[in-house]
Amino acid sequence: MSGLTTADVEVGTQLPPLTVHLTRADLVRYAGASTDFNPIHYSERFAAQVGLPDVVAHGMLTMAGALRVVTDWVGDPARVTSYFARFTRPVVVPDDDTGAEVRFSAAVTAVDGDLVTIGIDAVSAAVKVLGAARAEVDLGPRG
Amino acid sequence: MAITEAHAGRSYPPTAPYVVSAAKIAEFAAAIKDLNPAYAGPEPIAPPTFVVVISSAAWQAMFDDPDLDLALRRVVHADQRFDYRRPLRTGDTVTARLTINKVRARGAADIISSSVEVETVAGELVCTASATFLHSHEPAA
Repeated sequence: MSGLTTADVEVGTQLPPLTVHLTRADLVRYAGASTDFNPIHYSERFAAQVGLPDVVAHGMLTMAGALRVVTDWVGDPARVTSYFARFTRPVVVPDDDTGAEVRFSAAVTAVDGDLVTIGIDAVSAAVKVLGAARAEVDLGPRG
Repeated sequence: MAITEAHAGRSYPPTAPYVVSAAKIAEFAAAIKDLNPAYAGPEPIAPPTFVVVISSAAWQAMFDDPDLDLALRRVVHADQRFDYRRPLRTGDTVTARLTINKVRARGAADIISSSVEVETVAGELVCTASATFLHSHEPAA
């Protein structure tokens, strides 16, 4: 586990970025794991009926990927005390072998004692897919 | 009937107890492609967003409420917040209880603010999952 402490961070500290690819197979797997079987995540026909350009990824799958930037950096996921994201634009997932690419980047936006706030950007097909995404982590000593 | 501002404050009975297992944690971690070692081994913790597995059962109670007349095809998950007291762990037995905090009409949609409290059966609050849903009205025929 990481020995990261508040001495290692300040406002503006960049976290290592992360790029993930989401294919249709990934959406099927996440549907089963999360129990979210909304057909917009696997049926082009249904997606079109509700006005979407194609099948789209679960917002929560994108949100999970974004938090990986934080938990990979902090080491212990138990240090996450809160997490927020707005689902501003869908991640459109074509029916091919590559799928959609989502790029995550993150930086420290506030330090308050042991509590560190990290703002996360998520971009797919040149649009921001999450809004105001931020996680708080507690970097205090662990017993 | 349809959902209105008067439905603020409505809450639903807790969901059936859910037992967090190492197998389900492993399945979920694989689905989000997260190899963090905390999610592996005989006594893993759950990834923070695993809470949706439990909160989605509570959302379903609201979506199925005949008084609200919601149609899933017209519901969009607009935002999500999690406040954690601690991570979920293998062996936790938890329930989820949803409360509708606020309903606002905006144009052709209702904005529904909800919160789900995930508690152990012993009454320990583990996480609060707060979600905003947009429910668009049926287009006029």
